[in-house]
Amino acid sequence: MSATRFFGWAGLAAIGPLVAWLTPSLLTQSLVAQATFLAIFALGVGLLLRQNGTVSFGHAAFFGLPGYMLGALLPLKLMPVELLICAAVLLTAGAAFVIGLVIVRVHGIAFGMLTLAVGQAVYEAATRMRGLTGGNDGLSLRLPPHLFGLSIKTFQQPGGMLIVSWLVMVAVLALVSVLGASRLGVLTEAIRDNEERVRFLGYRTLLPRAAMFAISAAVTAIGGVLFSLYNAFISPDTVHWTASGSALIMAILGGSGAFWGPVEGAFVYFFVKDLLSGYTTHWLSIIGMALIVTTVAFPAGLAGLLPWLRKLIESRQGEDPVASS
Amino acid sequence: MPALEVKNVTKFYGGFAALNGVNLQVEAGEIRALIGPNGAGKSTLIDVISGRASKWTGQVHLFDRNISQLRASQRRLIGLSRSFQRTSIFPNLTVRAQLRLAAERVGGGDTESLLEEFGLATLADSAGGAIAYGDQRRLDLALALIGQPSVLLLDEPAAGLTFEESKLLAQRLRSLAQRWNVTVLLVEHDMEVVFSIADKITVLQLGAVLAEGPPDEIRRDRSVVEAYLGSAA
Amino acid sequence: MAIQLLNGLVYGALLFTVASGLALMFGLRRIVNFAHGSLYMLGAYIGYSASAVLGFWGGLIAAAACLALVGLLLDSVVFRPLQRRDPLTTLLVTFGLALIAEDLVLTVWGKDTLSFAAPSVLAGDWSLFGTSFPVYRVAMIGFGALAALGLLLWLRLSRVGLFVRAASQDPVIAAVQGINTDRVSALVVAISASLAGVSGVVAAPLLSLAPNMAGDILVDSFIVVVVGGLGSMGGAFVTAIVLGQINVLGVVFMPELTSLLPFLLMIAVLVWKPAGLAGERV
Repeated sequence: MSATRFFGWAGLAAIGPLVAWLTPSLLTQSLVAQATFLAIFALGVGLLLRQNGTVSFGHAAFFGLPGYMLGALLPLKLMPVELLICAAVLLTAGAAFVIGLVIVRVHGIAFGMLTLAVGQAVYEAATRMRGLTGGNDGLSLRLPPHLFGLSIKTFQQPGGMLIVSWLVMVAVLALVSVLGASRLGVLTEAIRDNEERVRFLGYRTLLPRAAMFAISAAVTAIGGVLFSLYNAFISPDTVHWTASGSALIMAILGGSGAFWGPVEGAFVYFFVKDLLSGYTTHWLSIIGMALIVTTVAFPAGLAGLLPWLRKLIESRQGEDPVASS
Repeated sequence: MPALEVKNVTKFYGGFAALNGVNLQVEAGEIRALIGPNGAGKSTLIDVISGRASKWTGQVHLFDRNISQLRASQRRLIGLSRSFQRTSIFPNLTVRAQLRLAAERVGGGDTESLLEEFGLATLADSAGGAIAYGDQRRLDLALALIGQPSVLLLDEPAAGLTFEESKLLAQRLRSLAQRWNVTVLLVEHDMEVVFSIADKITVLQLGAVLAEGPPDEIRRDRSVVEAYLGSAA
Repeated sequence: MAIQLLNGLVYGALLFTVASGLALMFGLRRIVNFAHGSLYMLGAYIGYSASAVLGFWGGLIAAAACLALVGLLLDSVVFRPLQRRDPLTTLLVTFGLALIAEDLVLTVWGKDTLSFAAPSVLAGDWSLFGTSFPVYRVAMIGFGALAALGLLLWLRLSRVGLFVRAASQDPVIAAVQGINTDRVSALVVAISASLAGVSGVVAAPLLSLAPNMAGDILVDSFIVVVVGGLGSMGGAFVTAIVLGQINVLGVVFMPELTSLLPFLLMIAVLVWKPAGLAGERV
């Protein structure tokens, strides 16, 4: 990788710790930390949208499953917590792969409905299986005093968690970027464009798509792990379809075309919502309108805003010589 | 042994027999044209041979190997490739990326030389959907040709091309077939192209073989002429 | 047992009347209307407020009329302009509208659950199969049956119904034949919206009014439409009845798994037949 890119990534990674260091306000730190959890969540949804061309209305299931797994398994002390966390993410991805093998065969709208079904099934299971999940009351996570060599307090305080989750977010972002350019990334984009032709090029199309679905679930699951660690708590609200819907909106607002779009969308969504909640109770309408405007007028989302503006400026500059004469 | 053999293939669409007991043998290195009036079943036959059609009876053999049960992707990997009547490329991938994707699967060589080979070098970084129709047709063909397949099925490759482009296409096909010793089965309506490169012609009508022979024979065959005129009436 | 079956029919009937509109809209314009649950909800709330002044039946009519208007607006402002775009666009726009509708309801009526009394003429119980069963629920089944019958007759016998079926099969050919697909579409959307709204009022005495009622009915409606075959009335009917039974019987026999059943059903059916049970036709 070139020097500029390296410094670009390093700079990006540094922002989190910088914010933590420079902001005295615990509230701001907490908000930024929470925004990063959602950003990672949205990254998973955006990844699926960009690579497979499909919309998921049920990704919140993958966001909340690791938390539920941790909640249920931590007390059993089966293995070191670090391993348990990895296992939770892998299991979620594994479940997604199996589900993916079944549902990616179905296209378009029906696929979206299936993801809604999967998400709601998980939600219903979370509310009904009280013995396992605590039902509507939710589940507390009994976390150990140390995690990955750090005191658990690091994960529960706004400043500490901000640094951790920001760095994780940047790492995930880098991985997603690499994935997009990889063979699997190009293959799934080709399948998205024209599945039949890909088959006639000699490729199987089911496995790559299912794999990508699983990877998008894994990305979302990572965000879910951070969320669960921070709150030490998980409840069915986390896996409701409205949570999936929010993540989808973030991905679309930010623009799934660029791999970093969903992150932008998540931050804007989160902070605008937070800002607006202070002034008005109508942030639902505002989000709704933002979604409508973005979908209809700016399909490239916020990520596409800069290129669009640039083109606009360039075309205006081209006209000037005529206008001024 | 023939490169490609179609044995007693029948396909029904509801009560209508699109293909009715078709038998066909194409020798290795031969360029065979498949012609016939609209609705004769030409594209359907290509679909059956390439693995795109379902629910048909009969057998398809590639160099004496029965490939009837193989998936389309499997057939491609053993050297049976096809192009599409309606251009089938990847609108959002660059030309280079598409060729590379195809090449990686079938060991087709280095992408830069492929771009040169198919005259797409100047368009390498353009998105598939952004290039001219004629270039898209060429890309479609290139995707089918990568990896030097042993048998190539072409479904109306000259469709929508200008007179000049069709001539170029015919030239390119003939030179490639000779260089690589590819067996070609070509469905085509453009008779200029057909008569300029076909070694042998099979005429299909209403799902069955009406006539078969060298171009001159077919040109003179009365039943063939009637088939074309008759279907227009 | 028979009572359980009847209860299942109550929900099944309700589900069908809501989902049928969704099916019609998909069949005609290939639209997945994420705001359909909101139409149901708006009808319920409008009916609730109107009934304070006009009584239950007045509220019902008010809901029907208002929602028909909303439907017309929806078709002309959203569906028609966006019809040439990717269907995903319409889906997302209706999703945005659903959010706005929820905000509207929260603003005007608040977030508390509201109760709505059944009309006095339908109050009370009947003695059925040895136990007492609310008259109103019987009426709900009756409403559903009437709606189903009405839709069936309209689609099979009326000229517009024929147009709807033709346009559902092939909108291009239908337009070429001289059918004004825009007007047919506006009519269908208006009827679908109105039906959804009236269903909301009908359901209100049983299910109460709360801002989350849109989401609940929406998910089940989607299952009905997708499993039944996107656009198929018959498929939607069968699925709605089955789903109603599953919901009720499941609670009795397998409470923890009940809620999973509709989703498992949807997954199973769609994997077996991606076009839904009846395929794509009206």
